[in-house]
Amino acid sequence: MAISWAKRACPVLGFGKRGVKLGAIKPPPHKLESLRSRIMPTPLPERLVLSLQQHQGDASIPCVEVGDKVLKFQAIAEANSESSLNLHAPTSGTILSVDQSLVFSDSMTPEACIVLECDGADNALKVSTTRDYRALEHEHLLQRIEEAGVCGMGGAGYPTALKLRHGISKNIDLLLINAAECEPYISCDEALLRERAKEVIQGAEIIQAACLANSCQLVIESNMNEAIDALRSEITGSSVQLKIVAPSYPAGDERQIVFAATGRETPSSGLPIDIGVVVVNAGTAAACLHAVSKGQPCISRVVTLAGSPLRTPKNFDVPIGTPISHLQTLCGMDEQSHQGTLAGGSLMGQPVLNLDLPIKKTSNCVVAMSAQEFPAQEPVLPCIRCGYCADACPAHLLPQQLLVFSKQQAVEALEDHGLFDCIECGACAYVCPSKIPLLQYYRSSKELMLLEAGVTARSSHWQQRFQYFQYRRKRVNQQRAEGKQSASDNSQQVEQEFSRDKAREEIAAAVARVKSKKSKNQAS
Amino acid sequence: MNSSSSPFQFAKLKTRQLMLLVLAAASPAVLMHTWFFGYGMLLNIALAAVIGLSSEAVCLWLQNKPIKVALSDYSALVTALLFAVTIPPGTAWWLIAMGMVFAIALVKHAYGGLGHNVFNPAMAGYLFLLLAFPLSMTAWHLPQAAVTPASDHSPLSWTGFIESLSFVFPIIQNQTIDIDGLAMATPLIEYKMAGQNAVLEAYREGLPLFSRSSGTGWELVNMAYLIGGLFLLSLRIISWHIPVAIIASVLMMSLLFYSDGGSSVNGTPYLHLFGSATMIGAFFIATDPVSAATSNPARIVYGIIIGCSIYGIRVWGSYLDSIAIAVLFANFCAPMLDHFFRPRIFGQVRWSPLRGQTSHE
Repeated sequence: MAISWAKRACPVLGFGKRGVKLGAIKPPPHKLESLRSRIMPTPLPERLVLSLQQHQGDASIPCVEVGDKVLKFQAIAEANSESSLNLHAPTSGTILSVDQSLVFSDSMTPEACIVLECDGADNALKVSTTRDYRALEHEHLLQRIEEAGVCGMGGAGYPTALKLRHGISKNIDLLLINAAECEPYISCDEALLRERAKEVIQGAEIIQAACLANSCQLVIESNMNEAIDALRSEITGSSVQLKIVAPSYPAGDERQIVFAATGRETPSSGLPIDIGVVVVNAGTAAACLHAVSKGQPCISRVVTLAGSPLRTPKNFDVPIGTPISHLQTLCGMDEQSHQGTLAGGSLMGQPVLNLDLPIKKTSNCVVAMSAQEFPAQEPVLPCIRCGYCADACPAHLLPQQLLVFSKQQAVEALEDHGLFDCIECGACAYVCPSKIPLLQYYRSSKELMLLEAGVTARSSHWQQRFQYFQYRRKRVNQQRAEGKQSASDNSQQVEQEFSRDKAREEIAAAVARVKSKKSKNQAS
Repeated sequence: MNSSSSPFQFAKLKTRQLMLLVLAAASPAVLMHTWFFGYGMLLNIALAAVIGLSSEAVCLWLQNKPIKVALSDYSALVTALLFAVTIPPGTAWWLIAMGMVFAIALVKHAYGGLGHNVFNPAMAGYLFLLLAFPLSMTAWHLPQAAVTPASDHSPLSWTGFIESLSFVFPIIQNQTIDIDGLAMATPLIEYKMAGQNAVLEAYREGLPLFSRSSGTGWELVNMAYLIGGLFLLSLRIISWHIPVAIIASVLMMSLLFYSDGGSSVNGTPYLHLFGSATMIGAFFIATDPVSAATSNPARIVYGIIIGCSIYGIRVWGSYLDSIAIAVLFANFCAPMLDHFFRPRIFGQVRWSPLRGQTSHE
């Protein structure tokens, strides 16, 4: 208790000038620039590129052919499994290609995309609207959300209907709408709340009804004054409650926001639904409202265009599939000072090498980088174990120790120090006075460990096969010696006797024996 | 910008600025010390800095490491400062040189340079001198004016400066300068050696402010260290765990074993906190991050170990200014403390030393 009191007292006593609160950092937000203007509608580009992998899960299956004319809201790809998503045409036009291997990102993994040439008419398919969504059954609501192809718009892109279904099966009691947009440069949710607070609140009500949650809280950072005012004026009479948390990074992380709002800690190996909470992004809530009451599928989202090379940074209402270069041109890009582009914010974003990369349902921000705002990296000095990283870590890890173990590739020590609890927020690397690229070390260690786990799994598979082979040979030799039957007749019988399952059971039993022996040895 | 993965934004504070802030925080106390005791400490610092930087440059050159980058982190300057304020003013130049070369070449660079040393270089250098030259390390050589307030010239005058200089470089000593009664013990030694009457008298006399008496000047120097330390704390350059743990445990020990004016050094908590090197130890020496424990729970235990050893060595041991021994002893414990005292990882139940992390399931 004394520690928690001290934690609360530290910022009050003025301890925090380094920009560090315990377990969080306060980087300069850079949000005001893009919040100066209202959310702008985007003039249609010539063509839209719609990836079939907009979300986390199985890719969608295209249901149109090259040359087809499609209308706005028309489905162009369908969900393949329950973890897949429907995809709709954001505007009317002609399908130019259904390409299986467009390479965009730096990962060089090809993505299947549908290219739609816009005809400019924007003819829409007739959609059925619902006046009173409150009268609908929760199953019906879920179906609407599923049909509309809504996925998490905060960045993870998990299919929303699936998430809510999991929530129902776990009997969740609380729905959190995440509007704590903590990462620098990103302001799309704040802009949405300033201008369309009502939509978000109604969307939250719909989601609450759909996932049968007892209560619903909208969590927002205390420095988003205009958004809070807008919400306060709209929230009266709604079942949604406003919860204001202190602004810090990474307050918007799922586990952090659940802790800030409820004081419940998500278990390290679990998800928030395991402790009765579903977390949904504010943009997703607005998309759910459109899906249910207007019958409109998810075809656009708000995207922040930020960075000093842009003459007028702003938020756009962007049709899914618009190329980044189209948006940057609309903001007036200064090519001379432009040094590179990030998809996402400055702390978790990924560099974009190809500016034709399209906006996805999960893209929240595009930052154009200049040399002034993003100076070249300082020379890396040795770690002096100052522990600033440990103070900044939201998972309460010891990044300075993880660095040592990463360099030594001490796998067991890394696991024991909780490497896999690292959420890769980058707060440690942000505060490091020696400018050590800590997160790069952790990422490569994680990759290495996962690779090793894969090797172990493969080797145990072949070990099994070899043990089967030995068993079979022994049996055959035995029977040959006994001379009862020919070996060839036997093989089937042997196969039956040594079924895979049986072998697995035997191996498991052997492993258990060894383990119990080991634990006995340790105990004694 | 040059990196290929996140994060792309960084805080502005660099190692170099951090070291400079530490130097800045120590400067009021150094100035205060100069005011009371003359130029001895400034000469110490200047000499130690020159020797420290040049021996670091030589070490880097021998190892084929980039000299400019490593020298510009200013860590050698911090080591030189801490070493110079720990040794008595008026120490001969060859003693300072030996101590600094030992600290930089052996304690720091033989272990791999910045960030790799197991022991606090400044304290190891001091302890080396203390073991090899115990006499020189327990006597202060001060200009006469600093010792006897009735003297006609101030220790800050030109004569005082020449006197201080002549202690450091005995070769320039000549007959014109009177160097009687230069050697005096550190305040704590006086307390330990003094009889009961002297101690009681000291209590009655109180704190004659700015009287340029060396006994009370030392207390004000310690207050200046405290202020510098609070400055570092308020900027969060150092965390509160180590200094608070040290001061609290020295306070507790001195309250627990306080004997009313009777015996020599079981003095008041005030004497133990401000009449000795506790403040500089707590805020500047023990907080050297490289050799200290690194996680916050471990830092508290680390501080308690130092605080208790300071008091224990001072009262029941043979050495008086026991900061160096206490810190080096705690340096030995630091890796173990880091292993056993870790913060609980968010979302995990607890950490047990024998079974490692235990998750909810």
